[in-house]
Amino acid sequence: MGNLSFGGTSGILVLVAYAVIMLVIGYFAGREQPGVRTSVRGYFLAGRGLGFVALFFTLYATQYSGNSVIGYAPEAYRSGFAWWQSVMFMIAVIAVYLVFAPRLYVIAKRESFVTPTDWIRHRFGSTRVSILVAILMLWGLANYLLEQLVAMGQGISGLTGNTVPYQIGVIAFVLVMLTYSWMGGMRAVALTDIMQGIALLIGVGVLLFGSLYLIEGDIGGLTQHVVATAPEKVGVPDMETSVNWLSMIVLIGFGAAVYPHAIQRVYAARSERTLKRSLAIMAWMPFLTTGVVFVVGIVGIKLFPGLSEASSEQLVGMMANEVAGINIFFYLLMILLFGGVIAAIVSTADSALLSLSSVISHDLYGRYINPRSSEQRQVLVGKLVGIAVIAVLLLIAWNPPTTLYNIFVLKFELIVQIAPAFILGLYWDRLRAGPVFWGMLAGALFAGVWTVMGEEELYGVPAGLLGLGINLAIAALGSVAMPRRHDAGETSAPAKAAAG
Amino acid sequence: MDQRHDEHVREPIRSPWVWVVMALIVLAGTPLYLPAGVVEPLVFGIPYWMVVSVFFTIAFAALTSWLCLRRWNLVEQREEAAAEAGDGGTSWEI
Repeated sequence: MGNLSFGGTSGILVLVAYAVIMLVIGYFAGREQPGVRTSVRGYFLAGRGLGFVALFFTLYATQYSGNSVIGYAPEAYRSGFAWWQSVMFMIAVIAVYLVFAPRLYVIAKRESFVTPTDWIRHRFGSTRVSILVAILMLWGLANYLLEQLVAMGQGISGLTGNTVPYQIGVIAFVLVMLTYSWMGGMRAVALTDIMQGIALLIGVGVLLFGSLYLIEGDIGGLTQHVVATAPEKVGVPDMETSVNWLSMIVLIGFGAAVYPHAIQRVYAARSERTLKRSLAIMAWMPFLTTGVVFVVGIVGIKLFPGLSEASSEQLVGMMANEVAGINIFFYLLMILLFGGVIAAIVSTADSALLSLSSVISHDLYGRYINPRSSEQRQVLVGKLVGIAVIAVLLLIAWNPPTTLYNIFVLKFELIVQIAPAFILGLYWDRLRAGPVFWGMLAGALFAGVWTVMGEEELYGVPAGLLGLGINLAIAALGSVAMPRRHDAGETSAPAKAAAG
Repeated sequence: MDQRHDEHVREPIRSPWVWVVMALIVLAGTPLYLPAGVVEPLVFGIPYWMVVSVFFTIAFAALTSWLCLRRWNLVEQREEAAAEAGDGGTSWEI
């Protein structure tokens, strides 16, 4: 992210103000909540008590990270109008929620699930399937968290004009995040998400306002300019790009919906009513977030023509610089923008960290390492492991990988492989643990190796989606090939779920 | 949530036609079927294919939102009744 032309003092003031607000919210969230230190459901799921406002904003602030702004605007700049796909794939996430969340919510409440793995264990009764799901989730969460840490450092140093160096900025906000998460668990995360979600919405709004101001609101003229200078970014995309567009809708739709922190928000909903109302509004949020960022990226084509891929990554910083230079009013708005970006990154990182802690403490420590441990001890282990994981990821974050978007795709390649076990398992009695395990393993290995080898996409279809196809085929055909079982074991869950 | 005893029980997955319509909307919103590279005609200064895609994206969001509100009702009545009876929810709900 490029550095703003204004000095760092006002940026630092905004960041300090945000940090203080987050800490105050975290303090009160922990103080007023019974069981936050002694119960895994209290700490990791806010006692299943998230109401409409908190649930909506925690869904929103978690699903949209800082990358949705600083990574997607350059993507729109490079891809042109084809990046409208970002609006569609964000809606697809909510559509995929509707495939499994209604039923999973009922079962999770009845069976008192804490982590997504609880459902897998309940459904398949298989240790190897549960552990593989936990490993894939941990991989996805760690990668997701790493991306947020990298973005956080770049955002903070950009906002403060490098007054706050990259490393110091990240450590400061990580400490703030760990402190309020420690004090209030999921409730603190969700309540800070309200403030962070509003900050993101304001930030994106002012970025759009500033961008349109720079082109004097002339959208038609903007298109004509792009037609004249970069026609390949405005015309109907070629077949491979369109296939990729459709693939991303499927890959991100399924991948993001089965993210552990996404599923845990289904568990944490206070009621079905709050959950469905929150998701009904979430279906429209892509227009206000990735849709707006898309327009900003297209405006960038006119304002900053001919940027290389690496330079275009700085697009939001460059545009903010330009807008801030207009007058003091826009200068203040741009401070709000960067504050919003940082808030969005923190709100996504805290959710991923909490979810990661829950998988390690509940699924691995409480289940296999020390099954007799008290819930209070599991909560404590979760908190400490979270700190340790952050420390390791910070060391990796000092050497940020290439472009943010590439990391984003890489995590979906693997996390999406848990979707068949999760979703098909809800509805299809005959789905069996063995084929599910081998399908998931084959799909993950295929997608991982393909990506690591740096192979090209097959006609625009990402390796994760090909792996998902292999995964699904093995799970489904293998289950059909196995003899039917009529005992009350692993095949009974969907029927029991439907029976309520 | 015994469906036989409660005709209000609804689950999105049980309306297959909705998912067929949704798949068609998503396909229509993806410019797979249009000739590559073509920009014109422009509608309000925007390429026609983009207008088509935006239209179907709005339809996608509308259908998804409608599914949430109108085709999802598994335990709401029971939960609301329990909440009214005083055994549901927590005191700090927002």
